[in-house]
Amino acid sequence: MDEFDDREIARLLRLKRYEQPPPGYFENFLHEFHRRQRDELLRQPIWRMCLERAHAFMLGLDVRSLTSYPAAVAAVLVCAAVISLKIYQQPETARVALQSPPAISTPVSAGEEWNLASPPVAPPILRMQPVRSFHESAQTHRAAPPRYVLDSVPVSYEPTFRF
Amino acid sequence: MSPLSGSKRSVAALALTFLSGGSLLFAQEQSATAISHQVKEIFERCSKAVVKIHGVDEHSEICGTGFFIDPTGTLYTAYTVGGEAGNFTIEFGGKKYPARQLLADIRSGTAMLKIDETTPALPIGKSEELEVAAPVVAVGYPLDLPETPNFGMIAGFDQKYLGRYFSMTHLRVNLPTQRGEAGAPLLNMKGEVVGIVVSSLENNSACYAVPIEAAEKIRSDFVRFGEARHGWIGGNVSKAPEPVDGSRAEMMQVMEDTPAARAGIKPGDILLQVGRKKVAQPEDVLDASFFITAGDNVPITVMRGNQKLTFHVQAELHPASKNVPMLSDGTRVPAAADANRSIPLKLESAAQTTP
Amino acid sequence: MDQPRTDPDQELVKRTQAGDAAAFDELVIKYTPRLYGLVYNMTSNHEDTNDLLQDIFAKAYKAIRGFQGKSSFYTWIHSIAVNMTLNFLKKRGRRFQLSLDDVDASIQNDREFMEATATSSPVREADLSELQRRLNEAMMKLSEDHRAVVTMFHIQGMPHAEISKILRVSEGTVRSRLFYANRQLQNYLDEFRKNPVS
Repeated sequence: MDEFDDREIARLLRLKRYEQPPPGYFENFLHEFHRRQRDELLRQPIWRMCLERAHAFMLGLDVRSLTSYPAAVAAVLVCAAVISLKIYQQPETARVALQSPPAISTPVSAGEEWNLASPPVAPPILRMQPVRSFHESAQTHRAAPPRYVLDSVPVSYEPTFRF
Repeated sequence: MSPLSGSKRSVAALALTFLSGGSLLFAQEQSATAISHQVKEIFERCSKAVVKIHGVDEHSEICGTGFFIDPTGTLYTAYTVGGEAGNFTIEFGGKKYPARQLLADIRSGTAMLKIDETTPALPIGKSEELEVAAPVVAVGYPLDLPETPNFGMIAGFDQKYLGRYFSMTHLRVNLPTQRGEAGAPLLNMKGEVVGIVVSSLENNSACYAVPIEAAEKIRSDFVRFGEARHGWIGGNVSKAPEPVDGSRAEMMQVMEDTPAARAGIKPGDILLQVGRKKVAQPEDVLDASFFITAGDNVPITVMRGNQKLTFHVQAELHPASKNVPMLSDGTRVPAAADANRSIPLKLESAAQTTP
Repeated sequence: MDQPRTDPDQELVKRTQAGDAAAFDELVIKYTPRLYGLVYNMTSNHEDTNDLLQDIFAKAYKAIRGFQGKSSFYTWIHSIAVNMTLNFLKKRGRRFQLSLDDVDASIQNDREFMEATATSSPVREADLSELQRRLNEAMMKLSEDHRAVVTMFHIQGMPHAEISKILRVSEGTVRSRLFYANRQLQNYLDEFRKNPVS
């Protein structure tokens, strides 16, 4: 009987790209997203909502009209900054389908902790010491044949023309 | 008195045709035999210096190919073989030897290992001398088979593949490769190494090889500094709408407080030459950039308006060398050695015991 | 690719950070289809995928002020997506519930599909959809981390370097996870081939 090799697996997996959600899903997604944003706002106390609106309003104004009301502007901006910080630090609330309990509560670190140096994002240049678990994993996998190395793409990769 | 009569002339002409046709065939046979002799001779001479590499990574044992380049046991291989595994052993002359990693550089796709033995070595050639359709030989260890010769030709010099740019121009070779041959040497018809096989193309009917000059650059950095020292200028290049003096590589952005900024290069300058490499397209800076070492004084020629200017830029250490990802067990891959350190690190060849 | 590769989303990100919500909408429209594929192939469930996607974009919207452009927006949002999905799956434990979506008509245009059906390997059309179903099952048997790399590399078509940045592991780890996962999938499908359970 034929055995599945790497290429066949890769081909079958590639076909999974065509598994699509129900029709109209992507069109509705954005509406749903806005609805959830509004829902979240509605759960906030009214005073916070007002300040949020004021903040958004101020951002929408152009500079000239602001200069006539310096004190008010300053007050609103300060409040807005405080509110923004508070919202930013809010814990995640998961809204998963009813059939399962809420799962996500740990904020996932994103932009701030990203360690890649600015500006290039070229792949790192590495030096390595043997990893501790090698010896152990070699024993458990001794029965399996070794992996004969020949990748299908070179590792050398430059994402930008920065030099 | 008269020279050959008409009929005798035609006979002579026919005989001449047969003779020349015959000798042509003979000559072709000779050159076909000559090529196979050459390939056989290169294989027999060079395979002594080509070795099988065993290593262990997170999941399993891995196998690849490598080759000695000096008589003290220094060998080159592909990064995918010698870069992120440990517990290396080398099979050579019917025996196994433990090996340690000297240096692994993902940007070039190469790694250097070492055994403590006297070894034969392959002479280093120049990939710059190769042209498309130049014949080449590779020697590798496919799967669990012994050292195997391979013959093909240079198919192209590629800066990118499937939309992704390489850090330097790669040699594309129409030569069938099998798994286990990553790290195999690519030899010209003089038996000199011109590249290192690093990956295969669709259906293994062709492969990519890193030019040997790239590995030599890394090794030269290692000898001088104990580590790879990729150079950094601090500019971002884009495609100019119109060619200026033959080049469309425009300095779109010069970052603050970088060697380029300090030397006086400005956005809008059209690059003509970086170091020894002529630049005509934005992607040409990748090659130029790869061969710059931190600390080098790099002459960069640009067109600014109607003026041709040359700046001498003192390259710094590439920021990417400060980044280190993690291995899957949560330990960090150690960063490049401190800038002050010039003595090569002695890596442990035995694995650490698990706690 | 003749353009310089600065982040193509840079403009939209800057506008979002300045308070232009419509710019973020454009990012949502752009990335939903891609992230759908990624998340769905890890969860194999449409409802979960939908909820996760909503959470992913909600998180991105809140966190975007802190995004400094050190990586591309593409990498950043994929990182959020993968990490949230992995967290979700790990807290859930292994699920075996599959929702089988119909393969879209666009598959007919895929060269790979045509090759798969035309090739001499014994995969007839009827077999192919059954095979796909078994492949989905096999995918769910992989650990979340292995499923993540298989999804990103084979289904999303991301290069090793990109996956390594998103998961923040070395490329060697990505490669060996792929190899190991491939072998697991092969074994599972071989089993099915030998003992087809109807």
